[in-house]
Amino acid sequence: MSYKLQPILKTYYEGLEEGKILGAKCSECGDIAFPPLPVCQACGSVDFEWVELPHELILKEIRWEDASVGGDYTWRKGNMFFSVPITEDRYCAAVAQFDVAGSSPFHVPLYGCTEENYQEMRKLLPFKVDVKLVEHKKDFLTVGAKVRQAEIDKANAAAGVEA
Amino acid sequence: MADSRLMRNVSIVGTSSLKQFSFDQPEWEGYSMYEPWACAVSQALEDANIRPNDVEKISYSQFAYFPTMGHICAPVNYLEEWAGLAGKPISHIEQACASGYIAFTEAVQAIASGEYDVVLVAGLECPKFFVPIDEPAYRVKPLSEYKEFWHPGVALFDCGYARFDGASDILLPDENGFYYKEFYGLKDEAFIDEAYAHMAINQRRGAVRNPRSLDYGSSKDYSEVAKDEGFSSDVEYLLSPKNYKITQFTRKSGAVMHNCAAGALVLMSDEAIKKYGVQNRPIRVIDYAASSLSPRKPWCFHNMNVEVRKQLDKNGFFKPEEMDLLITTCMSSGEQTDSAEVFGYVPEGQGLQYEIDHRTAFDGDTPINPHGGDCQWGHAMGCSGVNMLSEAVFQMRGTAGDSQVQKDIKKTLVRGMGGGHTTVGIILQNA
Ligand SMILES: [Zn+2]
Repeated sequence: MSYKLQPILKTYYEGLEEGKILGAKCSECGDIAFPPLPVCQACGSVDFEWVELPHELILKEIRWEDASVGGDYTWRKGNMFFSVPITEDRYCAAVAQFDVAGSSPFHVPLYGCTEENYQEMRKLLPFKVDVKLVEHKKDFLTVGAKVRQAEIDKANAAAGVEA
Repeated sequence: MADSRLMRNVSIVGTSSLKQFSFDQPEWEGYSMYEPWACAVSQALEDANIRPNDVEKISYSQFAYFPTMGHICAPVNYLEEWAGLAGKPISHIEQACASGYIAFTEAVQAIASGEYDVVLVAGLECPKFFVPIDEPAYRVKPLSEYKEFWHPGVALFDCGYARFDGASDILLPDENGFYYKEFYGLKDEAFIDEAYAHMAINQRRGAVRNPRSLDYGSSKDYSEVAKDEGFSSDVEYLLSPKNYKITQFTRKSGAVMHNCAAGALVLMSDEAIKKYGVQNRPIRVIDYAASSLSPRKPWCFHNMNVEVRKQLDKNGFFKPEEMDLLITTCMSSGEQTDSAEVFGYVPEGQGLQYEIDHRTAFDGDTPINPHGGDCQWGHAMGCSGVNMLSEAVFQMRGTAGDSQVQKDIKKTLVRGMGGGHTTVGIILQNA
């Protein structure tokens, strides 16, 4: 099968506007690329179908970046240097995966985790989180993740953080 | 005696066939640069009968990647993912419009040295467009909205320092006209004007017949354009103010046409050709040479040609009389004539007459740029070298369609130039 030229990024971003999270599933080996890519990352096939992915992720790791140059680097970076999300909520980098056969872990901005509770929250891993579609100032959405209230409460309690 | 300077045989066995394009063409609405890139690479791999995993190394060329790719540093990793090549060794060659040619010679070396057997050469470029830093890559915007972009002619023109950006790629090859006056005693500038008009006619005839040209389907032969515009002949039209002069000798029809493109080639050793059961006729690389000169001094373009020719002569595998085809960068008309003459493809001082006699057209006896070249077919800066080599491949395979050269091609000289300034000469031979 020959490569079929079609818009990948536009289809993906427009899908998010409709609340659809699209991935590319390889027709030969079943591997799922998210975000979608036109060539299979596992077998190199160019034959794929669009698949809709769930609004739920398995959170596998929370990443804390200790930059000794001024501290609190992760949280500052989240708000100051990554893209331009409309929300003022703080986020950090995390590793998550769709609970779907053929999918792989990927990096995602994680909301609901804070500098105060992240150490306790890491002890709960892995656990399920919701997809949060992050609004950007230039009028588009990206895929993020948000910790559910139950895990926030547990981590806060263990860390002695007042709700 | 060996018939090649390379320590080991290297052949082109796969090419992409994606056309030159522009994001303001309606059919490209909604695309980013990543889709055409993935398409071109996939086409070349399919043409070579291999899968992404068979590629051992990638030599990638792109010029203005930082502003035009959304301000990401070294996009090599994303480009690899888009083409199913994640994890492979890849090098990025940035040498202005010579990038593609240099990326090619680096790939040739990688195989000739014995280090690799399957190397992909791939390029992309989107001049005239950019992606804002805070938007998804498919939201391509015209470069006129990007205030900081470098443009020839607006940078500091400082003769005392290596900073001659005061002249464009269109102005510099204009030297060819002055060269004719100074060294061949040509008195009549109108002769040059007329010859360049015929060159445009010859090139346009190739471009309108080549499905990979930028304006394929909408562009017409100059005879038809002249008729539409109320002129009695193509030459009359081309010498009229409708086809205005940009420099002393160069008119609009003889100036480079910038556009977007992605392109790819697969190179293999003889061992790999056997292993992968390549179906295409392999096109062997016989020799190559390159030269760089600062354009602070006159005859820079000419002298780079002379230097490349000198190196090829010294190596001993270049015989001008054996060349059946010349594909050369033609940023403006004069560059085609100078290159044809310096490399001995046409007799010195007769390049212009060859244009007037239409001997350089795709169906002439001394074809040059049968696809139409940079002025009529298209020019995608750092990707152009890959694209021009692909056109050589189609011609040498005999699959160039309506702009196919009318004779068997055994050997081709591909001569490329980029505004850095760098000139490259590559000798190809049908195996
Ligand atoms: Zn696959």
